[in-house]
Amino acid sequence: MALIVEETFEALFALTDIRQLLRETKPSYKLTPEQRKLLEKRIARVRKALEIIEKEFG
Amino acid sequence: MQPIRNIQVRTREEEYINIQPIQAAGRLTADAMKALIAYGDGYSTCDLCLKPFRLDYIRKPNIADFYTDLAKFVNMDVARVMPGARRAFQAVCLSLLSKGDTALISQYGHYSLALAIEQSGAQWREIPANDKNLITAEATAQKIELVKKETGNLPKLVAMHHFDYMLANEHEIKDIIRVAHEYDIPLLYNGAYTVGVMPVDGKKLGADFVVGSGHKSMAAPAPTGVLAMTEEWAEKVLNTTNAAGDVTGRKFGIKEVQLLGCTVMGAPLIAMMASFPHVQERIKHWDEEVRKSNYFIDEMLRIEGTTCISEYPRKHTLTKINTEGFDRVAKTHKKRGFFLTSELSKRHITGPFPGATRDWKLNTYGLTWEQIEYTANAFHEIAKKSGLTVS
Repeated sequence: MALIVEETFEALFALTDIRQLLRETKPSYKLTPEQRKLLEKRIARVRKALEIIEKEFG
Repeated sequence: MQPIRNIQVRTREEEYINIQPIQAAGRLTADAMKALIAYGDGYSTCDLCLKPFRLDYIRKPNIADFYTDLAKFVNMDVARVMPGARRAFQAVCLSLLSKGDTALISQYGHYSLALAIEQSGAQWREIPANDKNLITAEATAQKIELVKKETGNLPKLVAMHHFDYMLANEHEIKDIIRVAHEYDIPLLYNGAYTVGVMPVDGKKLGADFVVGSGHKSMAAPAPTGVLAMTEEWAEKVLNTTNAAGDVTGRKFGIKEVQLLGCTVMGAPLIAMMASFPHVQERIKHWDEEVRKSNYFIDEMLRIEGTTCISEYPRKHTLTKINTEGFDRVAKTHKKRGFFLTSELSKRHITGPFPGATRDWKLNTYGLTWEQIEYTANAFHEIAKKSGLTVS
């Protein structure tokens, strides 16, 4: 799979996990320490993916 | 937010606690949402559809194994994914019933079941509930006898829910199956409100057919459902085509007639498959879901004028209640019946039918304890604000 394609899906999937966090914590969106850790990981994954996508498109 | 063309983005599940009666257990898992992203294209499941060209033979993605696992999940011999429980009813009715036949459903039976029977040319008759709003084996036997007396023939099918959609009461399903079998009548177990939320063992129950709803109870998109059956019925209901074209002589291999060949394809099927491991796990926690349901109903019953129309204590997460107190408030409120949904909306809670303040249904399935408590407190707050007492 082309890196740019892979990273686009990785970003979408990481955002989907964040979407799931919204669903689980609505309406206060207060996160448990575990959820906070997951959120940070997913945000980092989206950022990494975006950087690669930007670079790959040249 | 920018709409998708002129289609509003749906954020109900991200912004609101949703207690809508039929939406709760069909909410997607994160994996199902990812599957929708990857498999949204029309025939996305058909990249590697090889001979004999049938959906349930596709191994990449592994639809073949999913079908097998699905049968095991409800402990039946064979299973097919259908475009909703109603299409499963239809496949069974078209296979088993003909003009002049009778099929029995409950007085709480779903309309789509009645329509499936009507489509087959048969007539549907209702088994009445007792004074506790339950369908009993005794009432089933009486109705069978009545049909026999009136028509000279036994009913050809009994289609019975385990929990009905109107009250979500638990009916005497195992004994009803036993009674149907005493008359040699096959029984279709309607598990639209059970398969995917609680353990269902078709063989243990003795069912001939088990029907489930993907979008109602299996965290899957619409239209999805399950039709499972015993080996004995598979040949009849899943019969394959044997006709040929009179001009071309062409035949259609092993396509199943009642299923019109392939059934649910693409994103809905793959999303259902993606949710399946979660569904297999979540049914183990049904007792906890029922505990939450009872806690919530108990809290609602503290509000002046509230009664539980469904059987109580609850055995299910779907419940019909009567909020006579809120109904009284609505009569003089400037927003009339819409005051309740409006107050709930302000607190990011949705689900009750807009304008309903008297008899309405709710479903607590899948909510966290925190969300349950928040919602109960919100109802208390609205009640107090409206001048109702909360005990």
